[in-house]
Amino acid sequence: MSNRLTGSPAHRLRLERVPSPSRGATALVTVLSFALALLAGGIVLALAGENPIAVYLAMVKGAFGDRNGVAEVLVKTTPLLLTGLGVAVAFRMQLWNIGAEGQLYWGAIFATGVGLFVLPAAPGWVLVPAMIAAGLLGGGLWGLIPGALRAWFGASEIITSLMLNYVAILFSEYLVHGPWRDPGAFGFPGTPPLPAAGWLPNLGTTRIHLGLLFGLIAALLLWIMLRRTRWGYEIGVMGENPRAALYAGMPTKRTILLVMALSGALAGLAGMSEVAGIGHQLQRNLSPGYGYAAIIVAWLGRLHPFGAVLVAFLLAALTVGGDQLQMNLGLPAAIAPMLQGAILFFLLGGEVLTRYRLTRVIG
Amino acid sequence: MSQHLITSSPSSSPITSSPQHPSTHRPAIAMRDISKRFGTVIANDRITFDASWGEVHALVGENGAGKSTLMSILAGLYRPDSGAVEIDGQPVHFRSPRDAIGHGIGMVYQHFMLVEPFSVAENVVLGERRSGVNLETARVARELTALSEKYALGVDPQAKIWQLSVGEQQRVEILRLLYLGARILVFDEPTAVLTPQETHGLLRNLRGMAGQGFSVVFISHKLDEVQEVADRISVLRRGQIVATTTPAATDRRTLARMMVGRELADFVARPADEPRAEVDRGGAMLELRGLSALGEKGLPALREIDLEIRSGETLGIAGVAGNGQRELAETVTGLRPVTAGTVRIDGKAMTNRPAAEITRAGVAHIPEDRLATGLIGGMDLSANAILRDYGQPPLCHGPFLLTRAVSAFTDRLLTANDVKAPGRWTKLRTLSGGNQQKLLLGRELAGEPRLIVAVHPTRGVDVGATEAIHDALRAQRARGAATLLISEDLDELLALADRIAVLFAGRIMGTIPTASADREQIGLMMAGIESREAEVVMDV
Amino acid sequence: MIRRSLFAVLAGLVLTGGIVTSLAGVAAQDATPAAEPFKVGFVYVGPVGDLGWTYAHDQGRLALEEGFPGIETGFQENVPENPADAERVIRQFAQDGFDVIFTTSFGYMDPTINVAQDFPDTTFIHISGFKTADNVGTGFGKIEEPRFVSGQVAGAMTETNQIGYVAAFPIPEVIRGINAFTLGVREVNPEATVQVVWTNTWFDPAKERAAAEALLDGGADVIAQHQDTAGPQQAAEDRGLYSVGYNADMASLAPDAVLTSAIWNWGPFYSDVVQQVMDGAWESSQYWGSWQDGVVDMAPVAEFVPEEIRAAAAEEVARFKSGEETIYTIFTGPLLDQSGEERVAAGQAMTDEELLSMDWFVEGVDGDIPT
Repeated sequence: MSNRLTGSPAHRLRLERVPSPSRGATALVTVLSFALALLAGGIVLALAGENPIAVYLAMVKGAFGDRNGVAEVLVKTTPLLLTGLGVAVAFRMQLWNIGAEGQLYWGAIFATGVGLFVLPAAPGWVLVPAMIAAGLLGGGLWGLIPGALRAWFGASEIITSLMLNYVAILFSEYLVHGPWRDPGAFGFPGTPPLPAAGWLPNLGTTRIHLGLLFGLIAALLLWIMLRRTRWGYEIGVMGENPRAALYAGMPTKRTILLVMALSGALAGLAGMSEVAGIGHQLQRNLSPGYGYAAIIVAWLGRLHPFGAVLVAFLLAALTVGGDQLQMNLGLPAAIAPMLQGAILFFLLGGEVLTRYRLTRVIG
Repeated sequence: MSQHLITSSPSSSPITSSPQHPSTHRPAIAMRDISKRFGTVIANDRITFDASWGEVHALVGENGAGKSTLMSILAGLYRPDSGAVEIDGQPVHFRSPRDAIGHGIGMVYQHFMLVEPFSVAENVVLGERRSGVNLETARVARELTALSEKYALGVDPQAKIWQLSVGEQQRVEILRLLYLGARILVFDEPTAVLTPQETHGLLRNLRGMAGQGFSVVFISHKLDEVQEVADRISVLRRGQIVATTTPAATDRRTLARMMVGRELADFVARPADEPRAEVDRGGAMLELRGLSALGEKGLPALREIDLEIRSGETLGIAGVAGNGQRELAETVTGLRPVTAGTVRIDGKAMTNRPAAEITRAGVAHIPEDRLATGLIGGMDLSANAILRDYGQPPLCHGPFLLTRAVSAFTDRLLTANDVKAPGRWTKLRTLSGGNQQKLLLGRELAGEPRLIVAVHPTRGVDVGATEAIHDALRAQRARGAATLLISEDLDELLALADRIAVLFAGRIMGTIPTASADREQIGLMMAGIESREAEVVMDV
Repeated sequence: MIRRSLFAVLAGLVLTGGIVTSLAGVAAQDATPAAEPFKVGFVYVGPVGDLGWTYAHDQGRLALEEGFPGIETGFQENVPENPADAERVIRQFAQDGFDVIFTTSFGYMDPTINVAQDFPDTTFIHISGFKTADNVGTGFGKIEEPRFVSGQVAGAMTETNQIGYVAAFPIPEVIRGINAFTLGVREVNPEATVQVVWTNTWFDPAKERAAAEALLDGGADVIAQHQDTAGPQQAAEDRGLYSVGYNADMASLAPDAVLTSAIWNWGPFYSDVVQQVMDGAWESSQYWGSWQDGVVDMAPVAEFVPEEIRAAAAEEVARFKSGEETIYTIFTGPLLDQSGEERVAAGQAMTDEELLSMDWFVEGVDGDIPT
């Protein structure tokens, strides 16, 4: 209750942590948040002259109504999940890695470089693992930079990782417009296609590719790591109470470096799998902001690997279902992101209310 | 820390009070049938409590007994589930602390809400919403001077907060509340941070305020202070008032029994007078030579400390908070760099070695602020239990933590140390301070450490847990551990230490064998006054 | 703790999702129409309200609806050009039974080809690309022709002899347009130069505007552009200077600045394709229509432009519309590049292949093509 920072003994509203929100309350709040979001969105839809129920049904049908819809949801889930996992593991340690977007691009750049220039003639069983390794490495190194700046100089990783996103994106643009441009593409930007041996296999005729499995395996491994290993325990302690970690003699600097590298590597794997699983070349606009959506994935998933799986899937379903609104119902394009925003807003709001309560305090 | 320091000791100074019988006074506060529950916990169970104008009403009870909840209801922080509050005979329904202050209720918390670089008057101006003009400060300063003189608080409105001692800062808080128009003052364990002399001064102020017609509620663990200052004493246990009595009608032993609901072995005895059990002393376990270190702000916090503690010996460090205690503990345990001098543990040079290495050398550390350093509030009890040993068999195998071993280890620790908790999956933060400390102590002492660095081991801990913690530390001493015990509670030092060294401004003012310790003399040394006697005993 | 609350969230979501899904099932049974109308889908890179590239395509869609009252059209705006999203949207159109799908940005090329493989009975038209398949054709127009004429108007109007050109990406389509425009400028005003600034974006009104302002600051008094919005035009309007619009007639957005605009007129092309598909007569081709074909056009020259310049422009327009002049007459030698080296010999016309992969600037362009 001490208020040495502001010194103001005035009264104000404050969010106070609820020690342990009950399971029932959490579930109830989540359902209510979702219902409120649908209600709020419904009011806007009704004002726009649409039948909200019909719109929602169209969204559900678009996302889950047929095999293609479900497949596309899973395709969209893949990069959200991998970047979300990366962000979650860093956030666990209170390392605010906002740089998943740039780390994704570097994973894509490294993987593409290996596929096009290092091992262009290698068979798939060599090339795919090599590209995976390259993707992990590219993203990991890019994550290591803000990690090192934080560990050794105390520089805020929020700022450095965010700024490095622009560096990464612009560098990849330079490559696809310049030295890596496909000479056979009439001067259009984009690298030549990757050798087919480096393409990630798809599930049947859908676009679901091996990257989804990477994401699920990564979630499982992360869960085991965080829950069952000494290292995961150290990350938890450092995140919850850095002084206690120091007190217990934990290697804080080394762990910051490793966690940032791991966080970046997972985002790099997302970049690799987008290149090798979807586009089969490095091009402009590789990511529509997965690295930023990853923050929502991690946060709404409560920094839990399985939570990230769930939220990545939900976000992907919202995007895919949202396509229906304009395509088939002729609604303005802005409606879909508005509904997505409303749902996320209410879910996050509900989340805050389960974990905190509003109190008025002195000072 | 001004005029009161030079005055005589509490025992020789009669407190100027004339406790009239409270029933003749109008009630300032009347709380009737107050109930408040949090989830399944009933914090307040139909409590009826009142305090009159001109009265000091002490509220005592173990941690978790419901004192804070009751006072938070009075302060407008919580609303009661049922029951009524009347102020000066009028029913009130506080919706916020602002309402409470509007009715003249002022709370003095343990942690002060003051901006250090600002002056006293500026801090008071900050509290006023309507202010904002510089000229206000001058007007406020004049009013504060008048108030300070009227209530003998001895506060200079122009002084900067950082220049003031803890006791003076506390009086600034009081002054601020008076300025805001408080007529009912609630003090939450106000003496926990004070020297004996400051404590005496505060108690005198409390009596003075009551004498001027204020209503004072005094929350404390320290039963001798309560006996000394209160007109009436109410004892809270498990959310209920179990007794309301007067100092004349009771004694400390009775009060303690009512608080915990059972007899305590030596809680009220004068442990200093008891003979120390003789322990076979070994060689120097901890040896500090010319030790210097910097504090948080980069200023020298420790200056050429020389200390030696042998096996089976407990060295107490007395002093007012902020005189280098924390830095001393941290340099010994490897959490803070040493700028000059040496640390030797069991004869081995350990200066500026990593904390992990010092721990492996057999050093246990019970830190000053358990939730800030030694424990992880947001994690469960298992995670807290294994903080020291997670990296060693049987808790781990290679990189993996062995869940079953961790569970067994945790359960054993909880049982062995009588930690009351629903289970090992409980979040640590939800435990009471005493149970948190028992867990921490149990963990730190489990490895049969050769050196124990304990800082305020019983701060914010209830009577029952204090007893358990003292027993544990005595047992370690008997086992042959060397103990560096840093405490602001002189009684605790007298009860546990073989020798007491006084730390002031980063220097050891002197070291006194407990057997020949004199509270008065220690108090003077804590205030930085080297009496002739103190110099003499240094050589003992 | 995290685990417990997580499962609570999960339970909540599953419950909510379950309710919605079961409702969806009910509704899905209701909606089974008897006969599907002919459906035409459009994938747009920007918003239809951009009054630029996407607006022009949407005008084509509206023309289609007018000409074929029985058909149904659908569109999706703001579809990112990344493969994951673009392919999903195109696939969704195909999945939903659209008969013809127009994908209107270069970045949709590979996704269009990919989806087309899985939907052989659907016809795809990709705008501005170069890859085709049995059921994928391309469509584009020789916007260089109106650009050339608009260049003549600009060259006649400039007083500083500096004309700014806000360009999106250094790709052949854009380079060709800059060259055609510059050749038009230099035909009437050999002293004038065309300064190029790259924005590296198709759609970013603020950035496009900022680029135009930089050019104006540097002394240009006419701004031409190859972007998706009218940001550059508004910058010129605010400075009281001139501009040449693109995509649609931008005179309404900057009435005192816009001299004329090189515009797209997609309606006829879209109608032809739909008619052919309906008749079963469509075959994959690379359509590259000319001014004579009507897919490109030039907006009326503003009335504040001196009469003799307007008259000269009108004559030139007539020559293009009649087919007397074409893109090939524009790009007929002698053509020199920026270094003064002759790239096309006198009397020789550039071939389609040379035009479609053009990666050099003609003399008179002040700017670099990054590599």
